[in-house]
Amino acid sequence: MSEKVAIIAANGGMFDAYKVFNIATAAAASEKEVQIFFTFEGLNLIHKQGMHHLEMPAGKEHFAEGFEKANIPSIPELVEMAKELGVKFIACQMTMDVMGLTKEDFVDGIEVGGAVTFLEFAKDAAPTLTF
Amino acid sequence: MIQANQQLDAKGLACPMPIVKTKKAMNDIDEGHVLEVQATDKGSTADLQAWATTVGHQYLGTVEEGEVLYHYIRKGSDEPEVEKSFEHTVSLETIESREGLILDVREAAEYAFGHIEGAKSIPMGELEFRLEELDKEEEILVICRTGKRSDLAAQLLAKKGFKKVYNVLPGMNEWNGKKTKTL
Repeated sequence: MSEKVAIIAANGGMFDAYKVFNIATAAAASEKEVQIFFTFEGLNLIHKQGMHHLEMPAGKEHFAEGFEKANIPSIPELVEMAKELGVKFIACQMTMDVMGLTKEDFVDGIEVGGAVTFLEFAKDAAPTLTF
Repeated sequence: MIQANQQLDAKGLACPMPIVKTKKAMNDIDEGHVLEVQATDKGSTADLQAWATTVGHQYLGTVEEGEVLYHYIRKGSDEPEVEKSFEHTVSLETIESREGLILDVREAAEYAFGHIEGAKSIPMGELEFRLEELDKEEEILVICRTGKRSDLAAQLLAKKGFKKVYNVLPGMNEWNGKKTKTL
């Protein structure tokens, strides 16, 4: 059984963020080595300001109440939790160049890398997930 | 009320928080000890079971009281299997035909979720302080989950002057007979 879980975060909405960080923290809590590769809109999820203002899909805004009622942790809290559990964040260099972003725009402790960095980690990971 | 070494309050928390909190709490308890996780997340029963199996802990069971789920997990051990050294053993299959007292030395929570009818519970860690509850002349059949703790318990009893002590092999994990619960 593989001890690694590889995740690609390629979308930047609030639902995307929950999918990514719930699976990541659950996997890390199960003693898996976890890496998330943030690319294109996915970079939003670890952007210092952006992560506080993630949007719900159009027409689904009414779920906000459900999130509150079910006592769901906020995305910044889940990001902290993931980091604490040793989840490694890799921001895509190429997307950052395109969008004019630097490492300082993102939460502390991330690494910047290219596709090969992630592929190297993911080659023997199971599962590899894309959100 | 089932006895546990440590309690964790994860009530009101949604997935994946009960798992994350349980993992952290498990780091702080001793191997072989039992953690009680209190949760209201209905998915936590299936999640904790799967989690425990993945990381090598023993899921004992869940009790539901009103809205709250009480899960019991025993911390697994990294220790390699040691040679069992107590020479007097009896086979699990023959245990029901014997007259002696079945002494179950697993943790109280393990016993609560399923034991052989009539077995007496004294967890291994308490045994040396509770010897006066046992009769030195009576036959005592010591059982645990795999035979490892009962091996140590049988050695202890023999050393303390108990005359007819046997380690039951294998242990409760191979027991297919009727199990009694005391929840």
